[in-house]
Amino acid sequence: MGRPGLNRRQLLATAGGITVAGSFGFAALGTGADALASSADTRVRYWNLFSGGDGSNMIAMLDAFRAANPDIDVKDSTLQWGNPFYTKLAMAAAGNRAPDLGVMHLGRVPGFSPGRLLDPWDVGLLARYGVREADFDPALWQRGVIDGQLYALPLDIHVQLCFYRKDVLKKAGLLGSDGRIVPVTSTDDWFAVLKEAKKATKKGLQTIGLWVNDQNFQWWFFVAFYTQLGGTWFDAAQRRVTFDTDKAVQVLEFLRRHITDGYADPALGSVNAEQFVNGAPFAWEGNWSVPVYSGAKLDYGAIPLPPVFGEQATHAESHSFVLPHQSDRGGGTNEAAHRLAAYVVTHAQQWAAGGHIPAYTPTLSTPAYKKLDPQSEYVSAMTHQATEPKVWFAGSTGILAQRIGPIVVSSTLGSAKPDTVARRMKSELATLLAMKNPMDGRTAAQGGTAA
Amino acid sequence: MTTSAQTVFAPARATTAADSATLRRKQGFQHGGWFVAPFLVLFTLFVIWPLLRGVYLSFTDANISGDGASFVGLDNYREALDDPLMWDALGHSAYFTLLVVPCITVLAFLLAMLAHHIERGKWLWRLCFFAPFLLPSTVAGNLWQWLFNPGTGMINHVFGIETPWLTDKSYAMLAIVITTLWWTVGFSFLLYLAALQSIPDHLYEAAKLDGANAWHRMVHITLPMLRNITGLVIALQILASLQVFDQAVVMLDFGPGPENATRTFVQYTLEEGFTSYRVGYASAISIIFFVLIAAVALARMWLLRNREEGAAR
Repeated sequence: MGRPGLNRRQLLATAGGITVAGSFGFAALGTGADALASSADTRVRYWNLFSGGDGSNMIAMLDAFRAANPDIDVKDSTLQWGNPFYTKLAMAAAGNRAPDLGVMHLGRVPGFSPGRLLDPWDVGLLARYGVREADFDPALWQRGVIDGQLYALPLDIHVQLCFYRKDVLKKAGLLGSDGRIVPVTSTDDWFAVLKEAKKATKKGLQTIGLWVNDQNFQWWFFVAFYTQLGGTWFDAAQRRVTFDTDKAVQVLEFLRRHITDGYADPALGSVNAEQFVNGAPFAWEGNWSVPVYSGAKLDYGAIPLPPVFGEQATHAESHSFVLPHQSDRGGGTNEAAHRLAAYVVTHAQQWAAGGHIPAYTPTLSTPAYKKLDPQSEYVSAMTHQATEPKVWFAGSTGILAQRIGPIVVSSTLGSAKPDTVARRMKSELATLLAMKNPMDGRTAAQGGTAA
Repeated sequence: MTTSAQTVFAPARATTAADSATLRRKQGFQHGGWFVAPFLVLFTLFVIWPLLRGVYLSFTDANISGDGASFVGLDNYREALDDPLMWDALGHSAYFTLLVVPCITVLAFLLAMLAHHIERGKWLWRLCFFAPFLLPSTVAGNLWQWLFNPGTGMINHVFGIETPWLTDKSYAMLAIVITTLWWTVGFSFLLYLAALQSIPDHLYEAAKLDGANAWHRMVHITLPMLRNITGLVIALQILASLQVFDQAVVMLDFGPGPENATRTFVQYTLEEGFTSYRVGYASAISIIFFVLIAAVALARMWLLRNREEGAAR
């Protein structure tokens, strides 16, 4: 028949083929367009997990870097905070599609298979761009060193703080002549302070918000006070659990007492910030709440968690720069990644606005930093950090926190006795110590991250 | 084409029943096969292959990076059966199912009766009861997270109570159940409504003539006529409820809830695979879960068949 030589089936096949080819084409176009977008010689792909106020501070710092280094193009991607970020980073590194620069919580680095998923920093190169070990808190720097090599370059530490309302504390007679909270050096001191503060608190507000139902916060507070008591987790070889249940019980009873004495209300556990803004005298929170409370124009101060067990220590984690593994890492791009990280670390004044304490200590003694309030009030936290043990299962929202956090909460809320909880924590620690790191099939003792 | 030509012009041997069956199958594939092919390709790629791969991974110690996995035999399964966290998570999913299924079935039936018998503004009732089902789980979860907020939420405010809904282990699951009822009852409601509308009017008319009152009509006509649909609603709800995940994690900010009280089985699998990077172990526990759910589905089919046979006898 006089029909054109194209039947229905061929037509469908052609249409399908065009669609498939087209999608590949677009994919190729995507990569191409990326590369074409900038005239710079070198491009650094940088993944981070900063959103909100931290996100805009980071973008401002990147813009400053771009202005100072026009030959380097920074392509930054912000990904969802927490485990989704780590999953993506791990899979990208394993699939050899890793970005040139990334951000991680320092505590997560030992579990992130340094050497396989992470590449070490070139310390000489960092020094050329102005970053030297001497300018960091020694313990902090060492936490990024694994098997003798630097895998994590700290940008900041973020710590747990005791926020207090100056207006309320003044009424209660709890402010010193310097306008700061009276010193507290024992649990008796602390509960005496709470007792006075409670009298000056408006009706309907709790005296202190300490996230009694939150497994992360309760774990962080536990780490802080347990460290104040001089408690340890494992022996140096990471073969034996050295967790001290007596000390743990002291801490657990201390946390619990805030509820039994009527200072913290479990029903308000998730609205601590709102309560503080409305006039509750105290809130224990991460330093990331500083922009929130400053933005609300509150008359407030913030100190590290009070040394109720004698020693100063407050929980600290750290955002740090890492080099995700690339089989062909090196050359101009790698140097640019070093330059970018070094620049951000040494120009972190902006970062301090988010409440974090810059890890690069020369920043802390600048007049501009000293003027920051309340940042300058809690800057001492840099020298007494309480951290999780340096093992593969530790770190922000890692397995350790996920397993032990809920156990701590069960004591604080009173559904289990402190001594039972302390024993349960110890046995959980033993389980984790015996567990093999899924990334390399080795236990903590075999992992070589004992440093 | 060639195949059919050969068959048609086959030697004088009489075409047997088997031959014509083959013929029908071949011709059937010529048309049907190509139409089904796109689906089959996707189904194989995204269901069959991952399933087989999951079974394989469950016998290895694979991690998330995908390299360096070695065969570990039944180790993962042995560990899973001894894992208190897995049993806890399974218990939470089962508890949720136990609460949701009866509530949703009864509620859907009552709402359907209401919408069916109300004379004015029928469309409005149907819309109201069904609309929440159209929301994505994140919207429903966030909405109820606000409603349950102890300080500013509407629920405590309206009822003048101080229930720590999402922060206390004895209420958290209840809060998720309430959210789920509101969010998904519309689907079962719709099934019931359709079933109600398909009951022939003459049954009711005849019953009325015989002097049956409204209660009798419901017990002796409506309920028996709805038996099949009730079975379907219950089965679908059990399967859906056992897999509870999204609304729970949204409401609890992706955490396991107060003292792990709302960590469901799906969530635990996800955490093991993507937080702990233990893909092999996560595969093993999801296979265990798969077997459990398949057992529930098979049990239902078996019960149904027994009942039908009983009815036929």
